[in-house]
Amino acid sequence: MSFLSFSAFWFALTIPVVVLFYLLKRKRKLRLVSSTVLWQRFLAESRANAPFQKLRRNLLLFLQILLLLLAVLALARPYLADQLAGGALQVLVMDASASMQSVDAAPSRFEAARKAALELVNGLKDSDQMVIVAAGARTAVVQSPTSEKAVLRRVLRSMEVSDAPTRLLEGLRLAETLVKDHPSSEIHLLSDGAVSDLGEFEETDLNLNYHRIGRAGNNVGLVSMDVRPNPEDASTRAVFANAVNYSTNDFRFAAELRLDGRMMEARMVEMQGGSSVSLAFIAHQTKDGVFSLKLGVEDDLAVDNEAHVVSLLPKPAEALLYSSGNAFLEKALLATETIHLQTTDDPSANAANHDIVIVDNLRPLEWPKGNVMAVNIAPTNWFAEWERIQSPAVVDWKSGHPLLRFVSFDDVEIAEAFSVSSPFWGESLVESSQSPLLIAGELGGRRRLWIGFDTLRSTWPLRVSFPMFMANAVQWLNPSASSGQELTARTGDSIRVGFAAPGDSILVRRPDGKSESLPWSSSMQSFVYGNTAAQGIYTVTAGTNRVQFAANLMDAAESDSMPRAALTLAHGRQVEATVSSRADLEIWRWIAALALAVLMFEWWYYHKRTA
Amino acid sequence: METALLNADLLRRLEQLQLAARRWAKSSLRGERRSRARGHSIEFADYRSYVAGDDFRRLDWSLYGRLDRLFLRLYEEERELPVTIFLDASESMAFGEPSKFLFARQIAAAVCYVALCGSDRAAVRVFPERSENRSLKLPLRSARGRQSSLRLLESLSALSAGGLSDFNEDLKRGALEAVHGGTAVVLSDFLCHTGYEAGIKALMSRGCQVMAVQVLSSEEIHPSSFGDLKFVDAETGAAQEVTFGKYRLSRYQAAANAYIERLAGFCRRRGVGFWSVSSASSLEDLLLKQLREGEFWR
Repeated sequence: MSFLSFSAFWFALTIPVVVLFYLLKRKRKLRLVSSTVLWQRFLAESRANAPFQKLRRNLLLFLQILLLLLAVLALARPYLADQLAGGALQVLVMDASASMQSVDAAPSRFEAARKAALELVNGLKDSDQMVIVAAGARTAVVQSPTSEKAVLRRVLRSMEVSDAPTRLLEGLRLAETLVKDHPSSEIHLLSDGAVSDLGEFEETDLNLNYHRIGRAGNNVGLVSMDVRPNPEDASTRAVFANAVNYSTNDFRFAAELRLDGRMMEARMVEMQGGSSVSLAFIAHQTKDGVFSLKLGVEDDLAVDNEAHVVSLLPKPAEALLYSSGNAFLEKALLATETIHLQTTDDPSANAANHDIVIVDNLRPLEWPKGNVMAVNIAPTNWFAEWERIQSPAVVDWKSGHPLLRFVSFDDVEIAEAFSVSSPFWGESLVESSQSPLLIAGELGGRRRLWIGFDTLRSTWPLRVSFPMFMANAVQWLNPSASSGQELTARTGDSIRVGFAAPGDSILVRRPDGKSESLPWSSSMQSFVYGNTAAQGIYTVTAGTNRVQFAANLMDAAESDSMPRAALTLAHGRQVEATVSSRADLEIWRWIAALALAVLMFEWWYYHKRTA
Repeated sequence: METALLNADLLRRLEQLQLAARRWAKSSLRGERRSRARGHSIEFADYRSYVAGDDFRRLDWSLYGRLDRLFLRLYEEERELPVTIFLDASESMAFGEPSKFLFARQIAAAVCYVALCGSDRAAVRVFPERSENRSLKLPLRSARGRQSSLRLLESLSALSAGGLSDFNEDLKRGALEAVHGGTAVVLSDFLCHTGYEAGIKALMSRGCQVMAVQVLSSEEIHPSSFGDLKFVDAETGAAQEVTFGKYRLSRYQAAANAYIERLAGFCRRRGVGFWSVSSASSLEDLLLKQLREGEFWR
């Protein structure tokens, strides 16, 4: 048996006090009697009859001392070491994701988890070691194996919750690696279980204890938000958002849309339990800015009630079409109205000043540097080898890709096409049985779109999908249009931001108001920023140059913050929430119960002898 | 007639009683009791041979005529039976509701009244001696004849209790004065730290027929004080700490009964009549029933 708090033994100093009190004469009630002869006789006879007379006389004292000893023992929190002979490794995986900010377990789930973790640290045996893994915006070992409880406590107290979605899969994989070579080990996962990715976790035979934190999931959350040009009116922007009520309660709240802090529109939203609602706003936008949508709802989790999207006004892109004549293509490109299209049939024309270059059946002398769409050409720096195939049938296309939005290849027939193997830089979007027909990708910051057949020798230009595809393609290839998408990241994810500025440092101002200086070189075109644990708007400045990007949670798994009773791992394996969280068997409760029994017996005995 | 101690009805019933003497009266004074002394009553007792100097009037001349020898006719002489009451008036007797002392005085008054009605001499010895009771000492010392009963009973009712008694010493001193033996009635609670045996033995050694009546208060038999107590002896001032609860009540009563039983056994072995009564019990029951059944009187 060992003790968790040795200092409680100082309370044993109260025992002499009890003895002292006992030695002090008790105040007795004075009674004048005719004679004490009978009382003396009575006392003499009771003494003669009762065994252990001395003990009986001081029974109350012994009971009180026993009571105190038990109380002190209970305060010292003894525990029985279990069968493992020590040396065990305990891995503490702390879920520091956004859903842990829920306030259903006051003050918050993360604080409750911290408390539970501190209890686990308290229960740590001297020979045990503990590792603390934070599964928040980033998964990291915040404390390497140690037996020092003070260190573990300090680390736990310094941990902070993030706005990012859970990285429990990474956390558990990390924990799995940590315990791999330990014969006796335990993984303690302190989480609400609001996580979607554990289905990929192949638990072998880990000693995984899931400590469920939290009680209720009374939450409404924004799960998506997007800003698009209004298709009906080019001068306005359409803001789409999706909110889901994950609780069974009905909510009524105001949704406020702001552009750079200016109120654009507010409307009341009513949501029934378990329902979702799509919000669409039309807003005028005259300059680049950040749309912020805020749901004024009183729920357990505040972080998902807000989202920000950076919206840049479309800049007409300069496009150059190398073509010896393709009226369909030309018309489709012009119809998009977002590009200034120049057409040339001169292969020597310079494309240096164009954002988008479309190469149709005519190879330019100097291969263009910008974003390129190549039609029926197999550039040597794109493909290692190719051949021609006849009448390839379209068998599959990826309709989820932005380029193929509303585009169908159902009744497209192609006379002849290139046959290439899928290149490393791109993704095949449309496939025939032999070869990819349409490949999109990116290399060196430049986008490439390859159409492997002559559109004029196909039925595609006659289909409605052709102009739609071209509109998508122009938007996809337009650097300014695509950058708006890039300026919004998920919390915890790294973001690549295109930026040009002189000087040797840039300043990033985070949503919490703190600023961070990053090294910079004027030759750099972009930078990658990873410290996006906090949701909100990040502002990068260098001199007069300024760019904003936003980090949003927008994660359905996080917003669905109802604590899970069990985690579902790979192959449908379930890990139930642990009820007993003690690593060691603490027995102070039993001792306290015994002390209570002694106290009650003492009370009874005291009253029995004097009543 | 009615006194402060006994009502008229009880007195009337007491008049019908007569003390049962179990000993020959030894008093030098004539009375109505049979005595060993031969005297002048009409009750023939015996003959004895004439010796010179005998009263000629008591010679049996008819026997001389038949036997030619002189015999003297002896008659029993009836003498009085002195009744001495030893009344404990110590502080401890002042307790009880009604007080043990009142009850003891009522018994004393009854015994005195019965004795005086039977032409016996009655004396009340109050111990310990107190200055408050000194003026009453004379009327209590000796009374004879029914006419003196009123004065005796009044004196009895005027007595007060107090002071520390040494039971044995007081009784020994009283025994020295009881020259004529007779009946000694001891009225006390017998709660003495020094014991009671020596006093009773002293009375017996003087040839007294001893009757002991123990008067206890109901509080002494059924204590009603519980808790952490400190009892102070009213006489000695000695303190006794007791932690007492209801659960020990029966044990206390057993101890008290054992004490009484020991006293009763002591009395029984020596032919001493013994009665133990509570001051709250019925006086009539004691006087007219218990004492009668115990052949104290008939």
